[in-house]
Order: sequence, then C-alpha cells, then structure tokens
Amino acid sequence: MKLYDYILSPSCYKVRLLAALLGIPLELRAVDFHPGGEHRTPALLALNPAGSIPILEDDDLRLTESAAMLVYLASLKSSDWLGRDTAAEAARTEQWLSFAQRLTASLGGARLCEMLLRPGDLAALQAAGIAALRELEAALVEQRLRGERFLVADRPTIADIACFPYVALAPDGSVSLDPYPSIRLWLRAVRALPGFIEMPGIHRLHELKPEPVHGAEGEPA
Amino acid sequence: MPSTDAAPLTPLALSEDLPPATVMPIWTPEGPMALWRSVGGTLSLAADRCPHRGMRLSHGFVRGEALSCIYHGWSYDQGGRCLRIPAHPDLEPPASIRVATGSVLEAGGVIWRARADDPSLPPDFPGFVPLRSLSFAVSRDVISRTLGGESAGPGILKGTLAGSAVILLCAEQAEGTSLIHLLAPADATLDQRIAVSRAAETLRRAAETGTTEAAA
Amino acid sequence: MTIGAMRDEWYPVGLRSKVDANGQQTLLMGEPIRLHESEGGEIVVETADGRRLPVVIGHGHVWTSLGQPDKPLFAIPEADQPGRRLVEVGVVRVRCSPLRAVENFLDIAHFPFVHTDILGAEPHTEVERYEVEIREHEDEVWATKVKFYQPQAAKSAAGGITTDYMYRVPAPTCSVLYKTCPARPGEWDVITLFVQPLTEELCDVWPWMALYDDVTPMTDLIHFQQMIFLQDRSILENQIPRRLPLDPGMEIPTRADLTSVAYRRWLKRHNYTYGAQLVAQ
Repeated sequence: MKLYDYILSPSCYKVRLLAALLGIPLELRAVDFHPGGEHRTPALLALNPAGSIPILEDDDLRLTESAAMLVYLASLKSSDWLGRDTAAEAARTEQWLSFAQRLTASLGGARLCEMLLRPGDLAALQAAGIAALRELEAALVEQRLRGERFLVADRPTIADIACFPYVALAPDGSVSLDPYPSIRLWLRAVRALPGFIEMPGIHRLHELKPEPVHGAEGEPA
Repeated sequence: MPSTDAAPLTPLALSEDLPPATVMPIWTPEGPMALWRSVGGTLSLAADRCPHRGMRLSHGFVRGEALSCIYHGWSYDQGGRCLRIPAHPDLEPPASIRVATGSVLEAGGVIWRARADDPSLPPDFPGFVPLRSLSFAVSRDVISRTLGGESAGPGILKGTLAGSAVILLCAEQAEGTSLIHLLAPADATLDQRIAVSRAAETLRRAAETGTTEAAA
Repeated sequence: MTIGAMRDEWYPVGLRSKVDANGQQTLLMGEPIRLHESEGGEIVVETADGRRLPVVIGHGHVWTSLGQPDKPLFAIPEADQPGRRLVEVGVVRVRCSPLRAVENFLDIAHFPFVHTDILGAEPHTEVERYEVEIREHEDEVWATKVKFYQPQAAKSAAGGITTDYMYRVPAPTCSVLYKTCPARPGEWDVITLFVQPLTEELCDVWPWMALYDDVTPMTDLIHFQQMIFLQDRSILENQIPRRLPLDPGMEIPTRADLTSVAYRRWLKRHNYTYGAQLVAQ
C-alpha cells in the first residue's frame, strides 16, 4: 500500500497514524508540497486531478480523500475502529468525518497562512476554527457525561483520527487550545494509544516512560 | 496585612479536568500559571515559565511527583525547586533554581487559587456538582446580565439554565474575557446535565452577540 | 525601538530559485519590501516608496539590507565543495524573536525532549563539555568539539551514533552547523538556519543544507529538515518573553548553554538588539 505523503500535512498524518495504530505497513512516497509544489505537477495531477494529497494506492484502488482512506484501513483490519456498531454510532461517525473537513478548511487554512505563508483571510479562518473547536468541546463534554472518552464511543474510532490532527495542531495557526479542558483530555487519550506516532508540532508524551535512572543504562558501545 | 474582604478566592479549574499526571495552563492576574497534579494526586500551581529558557511549563509533562519542562526536561517539585537538569545528570541543581509557586485549595470538585496569608475556605455549594468550564469572550457583567440571575457573592452567579438551577463561578481572564465554571444540581439526570451544558452554549452565544433573549 | 547596528547586516528574503518577474512581497524589520527578477535576470529589491536596496545572491537565497552593509555576505567554503547536494528547505514563519530562533538552533540539550528518537533520546541526555569562543578576527561565535548521542542523526543515518558538531554564528540571525556526515566519514555536512526578521517578534526561517548524500531523494532530505524545524516551532512560539533576554538574571544558563551565553554576549557587544529584551523584568 503506497501513500503519497507530506510530513507536515495533517491529512497525510491521519492515514499514517491510523496505519500505525492498526499495524498496517505503508510504503511512503514523499511529495514536495512545500516549497516545490509537486502536488500540482502533471505527474501528480494525473493521479489526483484535485491536486491534493494524500493519495493512497493499493493494487487498483486509488483514493484521494483521507476519510475514505481511514474507512479502508479500518475495514481491512478492525471493525471496532469503523465506529459502526449501531445505526446511531455509524451516523455519528459519518458526522465527525464530515466535521473534519471543516477543521481542515478552518484550522488547516489558518495553519497554512501562519506557517507556510499561503494566502488567506487569517482572521476569518481562525474565527471559523474557534467555532469548530467550541462545537467539539461541547460534544466531548457530553461524551464525558456519558462516561465515554472518545468521540462516538468509549473506544477510539476513525472519527477521532479524522479530527485529531488539525485540532492538535491548531496552535500552528495561532489558535489557542488553552480554553478547552475536554479537548485537552481527549487529545491526551489519543496520544496515549498504543502504537501512537507523532508528527511535527505534536510532542511525545514523555510521562508514558518512566524517568531514566542515570547510570542504569550504559552508553552505546 | 491579610484582608478578608478583598481578593476573594478565585476559581481556577474543575478537579475532573485535571486527572493525576496532567498539567493545564491557567490565566491569573499575576500572569500565566501551570496547574498540575502529580501521579500521587497532589495539586500544585507554578509560574508558567521555566527559568532556564522561558518555555511555558504548561506544555510540559508530569512524571511521578515532578513537573518537567518539554524543552530541556528540567523538572521541578511541588515547592518549585529544580530537581533535575538532564543535560547534567550528575549535577545537584542549586537551590537557587526555582519557579514561583502559588497556593491552591480543592473543595467540592473545584480548584481555587488561595492566598498563603488568608485562611478562608472556599465557598461550599450544597446540592450542586461541577458540570463543565467554558470561556466567554465577554466580561462577567455581560454574562450576568444575559443570564438574568442573581449574585451570590463575589464572582458567583445563581440562575436557571434549561429549567435547572445552576451556579456560575466566574473568573475574569485576559482581554475582557471570562472563564465560567458551571455547577448543576447534584441530582440532575444525565439528560438534564446535557441540557444544561447545551443551554450554557446558548447563553454564551447570546452574551457574545449582545442579544438579550433569555438563554433558558 | 530603533533597529540599531543590525540595520547594516544582510538578511535572507527569498529563495533565489523562486523569485520571478511576478515578484513577491515581504517584510524586513517592519518595512514592506518587494522582490522581483528584471528582464535581464537581475534581482531587484525595493521598499514601498521605491528605494532600491542592496542585493546579493548566495547560499541559494536572495539577501538584502535596509542599511549599507560594509562587508560581503559571509562565505561557507565547505558548501562550495564539489559533490554536495544543495537542499532548499523552504520558508517557515514563526511567531518568535529572530534571535530566539537562532539560539534554539545552537542548542543540543533539547534534542531528547523535542526531537525524540531522532536527534536524541533519554537516557542519553548528558551534554559533555565542549569549546566555545568568539573568534575576534572573523568576528564570529564558534562552538567546537560538541558531541551528542543521536538515534537517527540524518536521513542517511541507519541507527544511533554519537554525532560530532560545530556551530558557527557568522551574522546575528544566521547560523551554520557542521555535523558528522554519515555517508562520508571525515567530512562535515553543512546545515544552516537563515532567519529573516519580519519584526522583533516574528520571523521567516529559511533552512538550507549542503550535504554529501547521493542516495536519499531530494524530497526526503527536505522533509527531514522540515520535520526537525517544525518540532522546534511550537517551542519557539511559547517562550516567555518572546524577545531574547540579553541581560543576565532573566534566564539561567548551565554549562550546556555555553554557545548561547557566547551568542548573547556577542549580540550585546555589537548592539545587535533587534528582537532582544534588554531590561530584566
């Protein structure tokens, strides 16, 4: 399975993250999105006329939407992650997959303006991002009241993976996460999942490892 | 001189939002602070700035009974004293390396900023339990007017949301914003709690857009 | 705030390969400027009121100055050696002082915590003694004999190695790092950080590299360096104060920070204070 990937793209990271959590190996093909603009070259447009990444290829299947890639990976490996146990759960999962597109447009847009100097109305993107974060916080408050730690259940699903990256990286677009206690705990719960991998801007949860005792482990030979 | 009427205890956060081994940023009039809870459950409040390179400690991590800075791993005990400098594992950090700390009290599921020179206890709200905290982009006065409730002490409002009696603990934040800790009746059902949480969103929309329509 | 002595220095304002006849707008020390390529292929940099600024092309970038630089752009002779691949990493904007961005680049003690499992990892956190000097003749800050254990020092590194480093500060907002070259022992890879001060608390960072590596695809080299720098960005945007304190007392250095101490001293000596905080609060 081959992923056309960019290390700084939260959408590409969604796919890398779920693959890592599920233990699915990916062949990564780095795309020079910045500064090269390779996603808009004829070779890449031939794969995805929309000019976006990620692109996932598996035999004759070619996907260009990250939500579809999450569905595909989860379907291959684990129905738990699909978030489709009941009709309501399936619908809520779809709701969050669509909501994730708003995060991409708002928080992702603000991030591209602030970090990689892409044109855009920064204030409007940030305001839309804050509105989305407030909706997410309210939903997570209700989940906590129901005794559930994740977006659609008490277990992680593709809904969480679809929303996690742009939320975690909101500060890259100068949108603070300080006002959202339930989002903070949810981000932490995702980061603590076995097999979790980081992307730049999301630090390791060092507390998951005990403090090293100096001298207990020798220097490498 | 200790004062009993000025500078009342300020609500900082809800206990449930700060489980063991976590840290959160807090805004106070003295500046940004890092509120953290050790693995053993002890609460501490430290200035949100590592004295080494100025990095915010609220971005750090809690291991055991210490708070560590994410930048270089310098760690601090609950009294603010530097315990460990990973770049120099054999060095006992000088006692002069420390972060300023503050006093906190925890009661009824709410964490309060206390004053070392003030023995008062946080107010008690029998029959109520914490529901959630949320930030408003308006001042406490605007929230009070929009809610249409009554004052029940400095920074404390009583009112009704979604048909339930509620208490709002208000803390002024930077730039005219407010942090609200919302308390709901202890005997409210799950559906009622969710309804109160949603009504708080409506209250916020009304307060921030200046509409006077009752949020309840 | 006056710009002071830093006004007469050279600053990177764009990748030479990306400036065309259409031109681009940017900011240098608060002043809006515009770059474009003339019909004759010359790069022109002008202020909003039409003042032509001095221009030099070097190390893959366009450099200019609001003042009158009295010396040429610093040289990086190693980067001119044949067989090196020159890597244009591209711009990243950071809400921090340009001086804080350089100081972070000079720091190794953060590797295990910020670049975990790549440039460093616990328990290998110790910074051994290294040498720092201000070379009077060149008027540059140098740190040599720096060593650090790294799990994955470069894209071409297969596993953990103890990596040797030298750091050099040839200009107030530029640093050059010389680092063990995994592909060619005995040679140094050249990794630079060129910082464009937009304001005292906002900068555009232009990393650039000259590597011996014939194997790794260019895009992977770019992504490796972007990954490293973007791990630093969230640190740089959360330091208080945003400006670099030059007076002692505000921040506490240790022996691991000798390069930073020398850098701050050198900045202060030259009155290079754009992006600095001078009075301890």
